This record gives sequence, structure tokens and C-alpha cells, in this order.
Amino acid sequence: MLFSLLESCRSALLSIYAHGLRSFLTTLGIVIGVASVIAVISITQGLRVFVSQQFASLGTNSLTVRSYTPIEDRMQGINRRLTPEDLDLIERRIDGIASITPILFANRASQVKYGSQTSYSQIMGTTYAFQDVAQFYTTQGRFLADSDNSTRRRIAVIGDTVRENLNLPENPVNEFIELGGEWFRIVGLLETKGDIMGFSQDDRVLVPYATMQSLQGNQARTDIQIQLSLSETAEVEDVISQLTTLLRNAHDLNSNEDDDFVIETAEQMMDTFDAILGVVTVVIGGIVGISLLVGGIGIMNIMLVSVTERTREIGICKAIGAKRHHILLQFLIESMFLSLLGGLIGLGLGFGLGVLIANNIPSFPPAAIPVWAAALAMGFSAFVGILFGILPAAKAANLDPIDALRYE
Amino acid sequence: MALIALNEITKYYEMGTQVVKALDGIDVEIERNEYVAFIGSSGSGKSTMLNILGCLDRPTGGQYHLNGNNVENLNQNQLSEIRNLEIGFIFQSFNLLPRATALGNVMQPLIYRNIPFRKRKEMATRALARVNLADRTDHLPNQLSGGQRQRVAIARALVTHPSILLADEPTGNLDSRTTVEIMQLFDELHAEGHTVIMVTHEDEIAAHCKRVIEMKDGRIFQDSTQATAEIH
Repeated sequence: MLFSLLESCRSALLSIYAHGLRSFLTTLGIVIGVASVIAVISITQGLRVFVSQQFASLGTNSLTVRSYTPIEDRMQGINRRLTPEDLDLIERRIDGIASITPILFANRASQVKYGSQTSYSQIMGTTYAFQDVAQFYTTQGRFLADSDNSTRRRIAVIGDTVRENLNLPENPVNEFIELGGEWFRIVGLLETKGDIMGFSQDDRVLVPYATMQSLQGNQARTDIQIQLSLSETAEVEDVISQLTTLLRNAHDLNSNEDDDFVIETAEQMMDTFDAILGVVTVVIGGIVGISLLVGGIGIMNIMLVSVTERTREIGICKAIGAKRHHILLQFLIESMFLSLLGGLIGLGLGFGLGVLIANNIPSFPPAAIPVWAAALAMGFSAFVGILFGILPAAKAANLDPIDALRYE
Repeated sequence: MALIALNEITKYYEMGTQVVKALDGIDVEIERNEYVAFIGSSGSGKSTMLNILGCLDRPTGGQYHLNGNNVENLNQNQLSEIRNLEIGFIFQSFNLLPRATALGNVMQPLIYRNIPFRKRKEMATRALARVNLADRTDHLPNQLSGGQRQRVAIARALVTHPSILLADEPTGNLDSRTTVEIMQLFDELHAEGHTVIMVTHEDEIAAHCKRVIEMKDGRIFQDSTQATAEIH
């Protein structure tokens, strides 16, 4: 059995080689299918590795609490808010917080001016604790200090993208920029962080929270975000449940009402991202499945032709003693090799394509191909080969030796 | 017991509503080391005879004992095994595998016996040397002359040490000079102790054989033993 198996493999390879061009064209369906799935997977996996690195740099033990207004409420003009009072409450009542900071986003056009230059950036009012919670540190100058907040100082810490957009000098400290008609002195430049899911983290201007509050027109409608980092011993789940109970009580929510706030963790954001990738993968998988099906039918077709062409050979083999399984195995192996060959070419092509795409889109992470994807693609190719080889192989194995020998 | 014993063998084909009696009650016994020719015009049933003898086909009725085995009720796989063990086929059109070398062709039947490559190669080389083709082992069939191809086919038949060498018009596609060579080879093989059975319509070929069985309309018309083989 072993020797005939080896012999079948040798003969299958010989036969594929003998019809080089035909074999290649036959297997093209498989090549294209596998190449497209590998290209997509290598890109998404590269993206995933990159994004998880980004999230890790955000601090895995940090939480963001922000208000959430259901769409029905929004249509009635109701806006749910998180207020400075909520912040106070959380600071006083929740255990396990290492540092906590409010973030107040500018609620008007976020125009930043320097000389004749104008740019639009994300302007955030926050406190000194932001650097611990969000792991943002300055490369030039200093960060916001507690005293800046208490005295509502008009100072700003800017990201590097803002500096570039405004043509500020390499060291922008002590330059003045204009925010909403007020002058702010730059005290620090943030280190570069890059993008998370297409959102630049460097295009932001940080000002003291109290300063920002005083600049906001309507004090009654203040809606802040709260970012906090947990102490070493605190459990994320535990803090989340504490927060939920506290905020629900503070907002007088009945048990049948939904939360009017959301608590986000870096892990959750990663999960969301993973879920999106998962859906993309499934959709691509479906498309590839169809492509492999078509490829498989192509292989079956050419294997049927091959069986007809080699009817006489099959007759000879049967006459000199080949049993059904010898012939069956030979054609099955040939069909499997054909499909596997396509899978192999597709693997190389797909990876090449992934690398090409990743290299040609600026700031795109490098392509990465996990072993499981390569193994799965190969396994599936072999499976398709065997599946669609069954019919032709059975046809060959069932040939009557006399008829086969007489076949011209 | 005789090597081959056919008892009341019949083979009927249905052609529409008509039944064609290709073989119509054949009783024949062939002993070991006989040199037999089945002759007859086309349609006499000699090709069917060959298929039955070679276990390629099963008779409609009657008993066939080959080397003591009853081969009537065997399935295709069992027939394949019998063919591999007992019969060496030599065809009119050589029937070599076009993509395999001479050596590969001769090794082919040994694959079905699960003989390891090294041993296969050794046996095949010896068989090719026996038919004087030791220097052509790596040639493909289309690089060989007709006579050489038929000798490869004979080597393939010999390599399994079968009970019978079964030749179907072995010189039908050969010129007269090569015919003489091939028939000499058959004479030698018979002299070495092989049982040779051939089917032919040429009297000159049949003249080599010690026993000539003439067939007509699916029956044995004449079964004669002749003294010597002379090339006319």
C-alpha cells in the first residue's frame, strides 16, 4: 500500500508536470481564491497587531466614561450629560482609582491660529492627571499643572501635528496661539503617538480644564468625559460595576431605564475592532469559498478530460494487475496535488499582494500572515482537490479493462 | 491437473434483440510449458477466448480453472490480482505506458504487488536484460522501434514470473524482419519452460507453436499438435 501510494504521488506529479500549462490554468481558480484570502488576512492581521499595540500604549487599565443619549431621546431634544458633579462623586466614592481626569471638549469650531496660520484641531480641557491616565507625556516644556487649573491659566500643551500645521518652531514653548479669540501661551509639546483607527492622536490642543470651562458659553449644559486609570490591585470589572451603580443612582434611573452613560475600556475597544475584523473575515471567507468551489469544478472538469485521455493507460494498468483502489488513489492524489499546487501559488501570490498593498499605503502596518491561515488555506485546497477528484477518480477506477484497452 | 482447464465455456453478447454467441461451448485443457496458438478468421471468437483466458472478462457459463483456482465468480479486484500473479499480457499494439521509461513500464506490474522500489528495479533490469534491452532502460516508448517496444512488453510480462504468457497478435504491428526476432524470442521462452499461448490469424506465426487450435463460429474446429516449427 505504501509503495503504491508513493508511486501514485510520483505518477501524479509527473502527469501534472507533463501538462504544465494546462495544470496551471486548471488550478488558477484555486490560485485566485487562496491569493485573495491570504492577501486580506495578511493585511487585517497586520492591522490587528498594529492596533493592539496602539491600545496597549493607551494603557490597558484605563477607563473612559462618557454620556450616552439614545437616538429616541436625541430626537426629542434631550441630551444626557456627565457633569462635574458626577466627577466629584466618582472621585469620592469609587475605590481602586489611581488617577482621574475630566475632559471637556470644545463645543464650538475648534479653530487654532498662530500668526497667519489657521488649523482645526481637537481642543480638550483636562487636568494634570491626563498624562497618567492616557499616558501622554511632553517632549518639550511641561504638562498642565494643578495650579494652572486652579488659576484658570491660559496655557496650552499641543500635539506635534498642530505644531506642524501652524508652522510653529521646533520648540514651540512660549509661543502664543489663539483659541476662540483668546491668547494661550504654549507650555509644552506632546510626544508623537500616531493614529488609532485613523484618528490622529497628535492633532490636539490641551488646555486646563477650568480654563476650558470658563470659555464655554453655557455652563448648565456642560458634558464632560471622565478618564480614569486603575490602581494596581483594582479589578476592571469591579470598578465598572461600582461606576454603573453610582452613576445610575446619581442620575435617578429606574431599573427599567437603560444607562445614560457608557464605560469604555481599551479592551472593549479592541473587542469591537476584533468583531469588525471578524465580520470582514467571514464575508471574505464566503467569497473565497465560492471561488474555491468554482476552482474545484475546474479541476473536476480537467480531471474528467484526463481520465478520458488516459482510458487506454488505465486499461493497461488494470490488465497488468491494478485494482480499483490503485487507480482511484492515483487520480485522487493527482487532483489533490493539482489543487494543492494552486493553493501554494496562491499563498505566495497573496502574501506578495498583502506586502505590496501594505508597503504602498503610507503609515499602513506591515502585512503579517499567521501560520493558521496558511495551514487552513493549504488544508482547504487539498480538501477541494480530493472532493472534486472523487467523481473523476471513481469513473477511472470503474472502467472495464476490455473497453479501456480497446479505447482509441 | 492441467494448468488451464476450460469446461463448457460460453460467452454470449446481447446485440439489441439478437444474442451473439462469441463462444459456444469450449472444452480445452492446456498443460504447463505448452506452446499454443489459437487461430481463426475474424469473428471466430478467438479474441473473446483471449479475454476469457486472460481473466479480463468473465464467461457467461461454464467452468474455468487456472492453475488450480476457479476463476468464474471472482470480482474485478480479484480478477486484477489473478492477472497480476498468473498472466503476462503481450498485446498487438504493445500497450506501453507512454510517459514511463522502458524500465518504468517493466516495473509497473510489480507496484501492484507492493514490492519496494530497489527490488522492483532489480527485477525489471533483469527482465529487460533477458530480452536484450539492457542498454535501452531509460528510453521512452516513443524513442524505441516497434520490435524494441514489443520486447519491453515481453519483459513486462516476464517480470512477474506468470503461469502463462498470453500474446494477442504479438507480431501484428511489426515488419517481417522484426517478426522473426520476436518469434525467436517466444521460441526461446518456450524452451526455457514458459507456457506460451498466442492468438493470431497468421499461419506463419502459428507454425512456431507446438499446438494449434483453430476456432470457427465460437467453437473449436480443429485441435492439432504439430511436430516442428519451421519458418517458411
